[in-house]
Parts: sequence; structure tokens; C-alpha cells
Amino acid sequence: MDNYPYAEQTDNELVRLSLSDPNQFLYLSKRYEDKLLRYITRISKFSRDEAEDVLQEVFIKTYYNLNGFDPDLKFSSWIYRIAHNETISAIRKKVARPTVSLDSEDLKNFTDSFDLSRDLDKSFDRKLINQALSKLDDKYHEVLVLRFLDEKDYVEIADILKKPVSTVGNLILRGKKLFKEEYNKLIINKNTK
Amino acid sequence: MKNKNISQIVLERIKGEKIKPISRRIFYIKKVLFWTVVTLSLIIGSFIFSLILSGLFNNDWDLYDRFGFNFIMKTLPYFWLGSFLIFTILGEYYYRKTLLGHRLRYVIVIGFYMISTIIFGSIFYFVGIGDVLEKSFIDISPVYRNIILNRINFWSQPEEGLLSGIVTKIGNEEIEVKDSNGLIWSVNINGASNRNQVNLFVDEKIKITGDIIDDSLFVADEFRSW
Repeated sequence: MDNYPYAEQTDNELVRLSLSDPNQFLYLSKRYEDKLLRYITRISKFSRDEAEDVLQEVFIKTYYNLNGFDPDLKFSSWIYRIAHNETISAIRKKVARPTVSLDSEDLKNFTDSFDLSRDLDKSFDRKLINQALSKLDDKYHEVLVLRFLDEKDYVEIADILKKPVSTVGNLILRGKKLFKEEYNKLIINKNTK
Repeated sequence: MKNKNISQIVLERIKGEKIKPISRRIFYIKKVLFWTVVTLSLIIGSFIFSLILSGLFNNDWDLYDRFGFNFIMKTLPYFWLGSFLIFTILGEYYYRKTLLGHRLRYVIVIGFYMISTIIFGSIFYFVGIGDVLEKSFIDISPVYRNIILNRINFWSQPEEGLLSGIVTKIGNEEIEVKDSNGLIWSVNINGASNRNQVNLFVDEKIKITGDIIDDSLFVADEFRSW
């Protein structure tokens, strides 16, 4: 995907370059544009335009705070944290309940990760998966999105959400269980109708 | 998911609005401040723990049999216990604000803080810092002397047979003692035991057990140094 100059550069090197020349920030933001836009739409109810507005603010805030980036943290965790905070702030302003919108690739990642085919023994129903995810409390919802859709490891999720690693582990475990319960309920309701 | 060229729009905004990154110095100062507060909390917490130990070890536990649980309630160093708790919370809060502070569970951070302050505080106490600090506080702070130090309140109950104060005059069988309220007491020490072989002299601070005879007369069973 990195079909632009500096494709070989690490994030940290691009941060350093961006600080001396704002034009280089373009390459850094390009690297995260699609990922973050998907992340924002997954954890919010925002339309594409709204999500893009949030993403703009994420990049502006990232550039503004670029000197505050500490290489002891992964740059991706740092920018996801900014995106997370900015999205939550935008959701609060809009007073919207976050929900999830899964595309085909998301759906495959999610069902594979959860072993839904084995556990639920059902053909996947995207609408029901969306509904089940939307019914989860925000704290479970956001860790499941980061773990199974953005494929972040526990430490990265801990850094993004600023939560202890063990808490992230517990939230994922509990979130998976709750998701399966919700999904099962929806399947049963659907079949009894 | 194809979208507008947001990165390009952002770059144009950065240039158009002349947005500059916040100075590195600001972040550095912030980082140093957080770690300073965390370190200071640990050091102050250790000193406080040495004061708690000082309060506990210097307590007159031989009076426990006479006053029971009430003795503990009246003489615990509440102010220092409260301060210890406040500095523990402060240390934990600011540690959590550091870059990777969120990765550990609260209980681990608080546990680490408490174990560290207990270890350092015990070292401070055993090298004598706790006692020196307490004596300094008593000397320089009337507030500490009269309100914070429960031991003084405990030893200011002549009707309960507990009296304390500064020796103002020494006679053969009687001494005069000025208590924390400024009252002068005549104390009969004839036959009283000298618990820790106090060399009585004017300006010495002592504690006395015995019986009150009237508003300014006290008969001592025993006296001990403060």
C-alpha cells in the first residue's frame, strides 16, 4: 500500500522528517488514512463525511502534538489513541450511541476470530453481527473492534485505550462471551419469528 | 473504502493555518513534572511512614491494659495515616499520567508504592529520622503539638490520671509542671516511680500518671520522659 516516497521509512523516521518539513507529514498521514477512517466508522455511527471530518481533526491534532510523541510507545498506538479520543469526543458532541458497521472483510475477520462457525454453528448474518455488537457496552465494543478488526495486540490496545493490559485481556474475554450470548439470542429470535 | 484525499487536505490546512507543532520543551517539562511529583510522593510518603512508626513505637503501650481499645483509638497518628493515604493516591495518580503508567493495574501500582514507602520509611525510622522529624515538628509547630499529635491530647486528661507538660520548678518532693493549656500544676512525686530514669530538670517535658487532687494539685504514681 505504501506506493509513495519514504515507503521504506519507519513511522518514527517519518515523525522526525515531518518535524523538520511539514510536507513529509503527508506520507505519515497517508499511511494511516484508510486504517483510521475504518476505525472511526467502526466505533461510531458517523457517515463517511462525518468520519472524514473527525479524521482531519485527528491528523491536525497529531501534527500539533508531534513533539509529544515518545518512541517508547508505538506510533500506531499513539495515533490510534488520538483517533479514539477524538472520535469519542465527537460522539459525545453528537450524543450518538456508537455502533458498528462491518464490511465483507471485517465480517470474515470477525467470524474467524470468534470461531463463530464452530461455536454458533450458523451461517453468518452480517446484520445480526452488527446488531449484537451494537448491543454491547462501549467498553467491550471498543476492545473487540481493536482486537478483531484492527488486529491490535493486548499491549497496543492498552496503550490506545490507556487501560492496564490485564484489564484489556479481561474485557476481551468478557466481551467475546457477551457478544456470543447476544448473537445467540438474536438467532433464536429470528428463528422463532 | 475510497475516500477524499484527506491527507492532502490536512497538509493544506497545516500550511494555510500556519499550524506549528507544540514545542518539544513543553512536553519535556510536563514529563519531568509528572516524574518529579511521583518521586516526591514516594520520598514524602517514606518520611511520613517513618513518622507513623515513630508514633507507634513511642506510644505508651503499657497503658493499653488500663484504657483498652480506647487507648489505640485515642493515640493513633491519624494525621500521618491520612497523609500517607493522600500521598499514595497522589503518587498513583501521577504515575498513571506518565507515558506507560496505564499498563499496570491500580492495585499493582499502589502495592509497589506502599511496599517502597514502607521499606524506605522503615529505614528512615531505624536511622532515627522519624524521631528527629517528630521532635522538629513538636518544636516548630504549635498546630502539630496541640491538634495533630493525639498523644498530647491523650496525656492532657488529669481527671483520667494523665498529665503532661514542661517542668517549671523542682522541689524535694514536689515539682511544678506547665501543661499544654498553660496551667501550672503542683505535682507530688514522693514515692512515684521514675519509669525511664528521667533526670528531672527545668524545661524537661514529661508525662505523669497519678491522681488529681484538686484543680492544680496532682499526686504522681509514675513519671516518664516525653
